[in-house]
Amino acid sequence: MRNELFLLSILAMAASPAGATLGGSAESVVADQSNLHAKRAVVERRGYTVHEISRDDGTLIREYVTPAGKVFGVSWTGPTIPDLAQLLGPYNTEFQNTLRSKSARRKVAVVRNPDLVVESAGHSRAFHGRAYLNSMLPGGVTEDAVK
Amino acid sequence: MRLVRWRQSATAVLLMSLAACSAGSGSGRIGSGVTTTPPPAVNNVQPVVMDYGPIVNGQSVGVNNSLYTTVTICVPGTITCQSIDHVLVDTGSTGLRIPASLVMLSVPYLVDAGNNPIGNCVQYADTTYQWGPLVKVDVQMAGEVASAVPIQIISPTNFAGAPASCSAGGTPAQTVADLGANGILGVGLFRQDCGSACTTSAPPAVYFSCPTTGCITASVPLASQLQNPVWMFPQDNNGLAIILPQVGAAGSVSLAGSMIFGIGTQSNNGLVGAQAQGADSGGDFTTTFNGIAHSGSFIDSGSSGYFFLDSSTTGLPDCAANSHANGFYCPASPVSFSAINSGPNPKGTGVPISINVAFSIANALPLIDSPSVVFNNIGGPNSGSFDWGIPFFLGRTVFVGIEGQASPAGTGPYWAY
Repeated sequence: MRNELFLLSILAMAASPAGATLGGSAESVVADQSNLHAKRAVVERRGYTVHEISRDDGTLIREYVTPAGKVFGVSWTGPTIPDLAQLLGPYNTEFQNTLRSKSARRKVAVVRNPDLVVESAGHSRAFHGRAYLNSMLPGGVTEDAVK
Repeated sequence: MRLVRWRQSATAVLLMSLAACSAGSGSGRIGSGVTTTPPPAVNNVQPVVMDYGPIVNGQSVGVNNSLYTTVTICVPGTITCQSIDHVLVDTGSTGLRIPASLVMLSVPYLVDAGNNPIGNCVQYADTTYQWGPLVKVDVQMAGEVASAVPIQIISPTNFAGAPASCSAGGTPAQTVADLGANGILGVGLFRQDCGSACTTSAPPAVYFSCPTTGCITASVPLASQLQNPVWMFPQDNNGLAIILPQVGAAGSVSLAGSMIFGIGTQSNNGLVGAQAQGADSGGDFTTTFNGIAHSGSFIDSGSSGYFFLDSSTTGLPDCAANSHANGFYCPASPVSFSAINSGPNPKGTGVPISINVAFSIANALPLIDSPSVVFNNIGGPNSGSFDWGIPFFLGRTVFVGIEGQASPAGTGPYWAY
């Protein structure tokens, strides 16, 4: 049984909110001007809120926000990888540093640190991935919510 | 056998060129030079090899389970050419990409309608990327010549840096040492790297128009995009087959095989008993494992292992995070698995084709620490899908059916094995 869905609003904006930072406040979504021509939908779920940002190039970014207004997870699908420096904020450094310690040729990145989890997969034309902070998962919400 | 050694006179040209154009890259390499030799007769069989990889500053910089070949590039319409060994054969990408430090041909950057150079970006899911301008060259392999093919020159010092939407917070893999190869030969399922998505008014961040004021995302016609050279050959252009022998459980220090151009076009490239399964517009198909279907799965000679699912699903423990084998599975003893790959019938009959695949995963740590560099039994986690990397190719003939190209198996994109 799925959680109830409430479509709160669908906003089409020329210079739009697009990309809050993992661990940051949801208000930073609105401050971000870098992704033009994006549309945003806000979906209320039991225990958290999902901001869905769809770009005309086929990229879909979801940001998972706690009741207190903090971004506890992000996910993406699309023809390219979105700017993870922006999407993961300071956690991108931790992600990149963990990756650099590996030596293999792969089309995947899986980082499972005690707090930060990042999964990046796919290839040109079809990438997908997600990231979340274990410490910020709202009560009653599991990592499976971030997809 | 395959590593071409060039004449002394060519070496002198090489050294002068390196001094002139590779300052700061540290990726100089002995073993190629500019020649003026007509292409050999067409024979459609291109040698491939797995070994320790290219040498930089006296050190081998190859990565385990890398498949390499030698590619000859020429100034279009001329016999002014250079051969580049240890180019990675990658069925997971499209187009030829060569580090700028290795390119000795004099060829101009391609420009758009506004006379601005075109920048190209390719990203990988491990968040590495390559960035650089396009040039046109003739590409020669096995006597086959693809004329005036747009290729990427990786990161020349006189070109704009990677835009943020290309680097995307990731890490550049642009030198020979970082690539573990002298370039990447993308011979996957598609004709172009981006395709129709990059011809629209809202293209993804793959092509850029680069005036001096900075690079901006741009729409680029199909013919100006990076091309899979194989579909531009005048014959044997509907796909290719990669044929590699099997190795033992301890792996091997080297392996020689073949890449044969064309599918059912010559006496040496028939499908024989291979079954063909189609892929979707992104190049993916479904792999069913323990009764659960995983879409988004693909076959990729540019991946060094079987990357699939996770520790809790497979029962395979992850290797220690602080070990050389971080990112692989490290079971105490080898574990055998089977899975079913399925995709549409490329003949368009509507009946999906399912192919059973058996494989085995061993402890990656002692293998990676051994002298061997070719393994059929290493793998690691992926998020929710299967990346059938190099181990899948060992002991098989794997056909790559290129999109829109007719063959006895049907029309690409498809895999057959």
